[in-house]
Order: sequence, then structure tokens, then C-alpha cells
Amino acid sequence: MDEFASRHYPVKEHMRFQRRMWVVERVGWGVLGLIAVLGLTGLFGSGWLSRGTAAGNGLSIEYERFERATRLSAFAFHFAPGATERTLHLNRGFQKNYQISRIEPEPTRSQAEPDGFSLTFALPPEGGSVVLWAHARGYGIQRITARSDRAPPLSFSTMIYP
Amino acid sequence: MDSVLKAVVVFFVLWGIIRISGRRTLGEMTAFDFVLFLIIGGSTQRAITGEDYSMTNALLLVATFVILDIGLSMLDLKWPFMRRVLNATPTILVDNGHLLVNRMRRARLTQEHILEAARRLHGLERMDQIKFAILEASGDISIVPAIQQGTAKAARRA
Repeated sequence: MDEFASRHYPVKEHMRFQRRMWVVERVGWGVLGLIAVLGLTGLFGSGWLSRGTAAGNGLSIEYERFERATRLSAFAFHFAPGATERTLHLNRGFQKNYQISRIEPEPTRSQAEPDGFSLTFALPPEGGSVVLWAHARGYGIQRITARSDRAPPLSFSTMIYP
Repeated sequence: MDSVLKAVVVFFVLWGIIRISGRRTLGEMTAFDFVLFLIIGGSTQRAITGEDYSMTNALLLVATFVILDIGLSMLDLKWPFMRRVLNATPTILVDNGHLLVNRMRRARLTQEHILEAARRLHGLERMDQIKFAILEASGDISIVPAIQQGTAKAARRA
């Protein structure tokens, strides 16, 4: 008798189903392995695929392209040399989807604006960096725009996984 | 609302992962399997509760999990096909004393596993004392002993 034929005694077997299930299992292991490998690359946040940068108009930004809900991540804003008081404007997309937990250094002033909010920092004339730590809140792709003082805005997108 | 949805998603994703991990994981739990299940429990628990430690949230989650469990058991009763999908199907590993090697390889089991079950369940020592070994849907191996010459005589004398 064929080894993979269904036997009916002492239990009724469904070998066709069982063999299909063994194949599904193996495909499933492949998928789990793939998830782990993609996780290592940073597709699900924190890794080289996730490192995002945007630069221009006197400002350069480092951010996490892929983010996970509730996770804390850093946004670094580097200001080009200029005035000693610099204002960073962030849009509502940022305000709605990130909960700021800490700003280094502390801004000297923060203000609500029609399309978001602004933070004013005291910086040396040769420029400097500001790091903003925030927890992701929303889900999905979020469009964020940031601008330094009156310069045109820089925009970038982040993907927040649930 | 999102508590219920999270519970449903986590329930089915976990079910799927445990289902494709194969039955070996469920039946005889090794020390390593035990640790694995502790970690799975610990890492999903926080994802479901999030930062909401309220009684309402706990109640919502428990209600959702229990109703899903009841729902699946009803599907299972009504349609035999669903029973196979949800809980697997029994597979014979030893048929009339004949070892079905290819099936065992696919189920990631060896003769050692069968002998271990035979010792534990019936105090059997050798493969030729086993008539049937069945990998049950639950993941356990059950054994039907062969009636030995000596035992049969003893049974007649008694």
C-alpha cells in the first residue's frame, strides 16, 4: 500500500489534506524566515533600510523611515550656520502622529501655528543640532514637513506600523 | 473599538503561526517549547493591552478571545473540513507494525519519539510490540500495542 494513501483503520485519515498541510507548513516557515530577515534589514523600523535623511534650505533631517506605533524614535535637525535664534516649524502631520517626549536642547519658545507648531531654539552662529524624541501614535504613511525660519519647507514621509 | 480588532488580529495571527509550526510543538512540550510559549505570551500581551490597563479593556479582550474560541469550536463541530483546517487530522505512523518513514520525516518525528510514547503509555520496549502508532490531531502520539504470543497465552490461561 502506498505510504501516502489514506488508511481507514484504526483512524480515518485524510492524507490529501495532510500532505497539502505539510506543504503549507513549509511555505509558512519560509514566510516566517523572510519576516525575520526583513526585520534585520530594518524594513520594520530601526535598521539601515529605515534610516532616512532629508536636506536642503538650511536644514538637514535624520529620521526613521519606518516606525512602529508607541515606539520612541529620534528626529535630528541640523541647522546650517546663520542666526543665533532659529525657529523650526513642523506641520500637523507631525503633531497628530507623534507624541513628543523630549527635546534636546529645550526650545526657548514653542508656539501653535495654523498648520502645526513651531519651536524656537538658541543656537550658535555656526549652526547646531536639535534632537526631538517622539513616540509614534498614528498608523500608516504620514507626510511630514519641516522648515527652518522662513526657508521653503522640507518634506518627507514616514510609515508607522501598528 | 481597537481593543476588539487587536484581539481578533492577534488571535488569528497567533493561531496561524502555531498551526504552521506543526504539531510537534503542541504535543510533547520540551523545556525549550515551554520557554518559547512564555516568550510568545509575554511579547503579544503588551501589544494587545498597549498602554490601556483599564478593567474595561481587560474585559473587552477576554470577551473577544472567549467568543472567538467558542465560534471556532462551533465551526469545528458543524463542518468536518473546518475541523481539519483548525485542528489538524490524525496521521498513522506505524501501520500493523510497519514504520511509515516518509510520513514521519514530514511530521518531523523519529522512531525515538514513537518508542518514547510506547514506553510512557504502555511500558513497551521494542518496535515489534507496537501495532499502530498514531499522531493525533492534538499533537500527541498514541500507541496500540501488538498482542504478544506470551501475553495471548497468559490471557487464555487467566
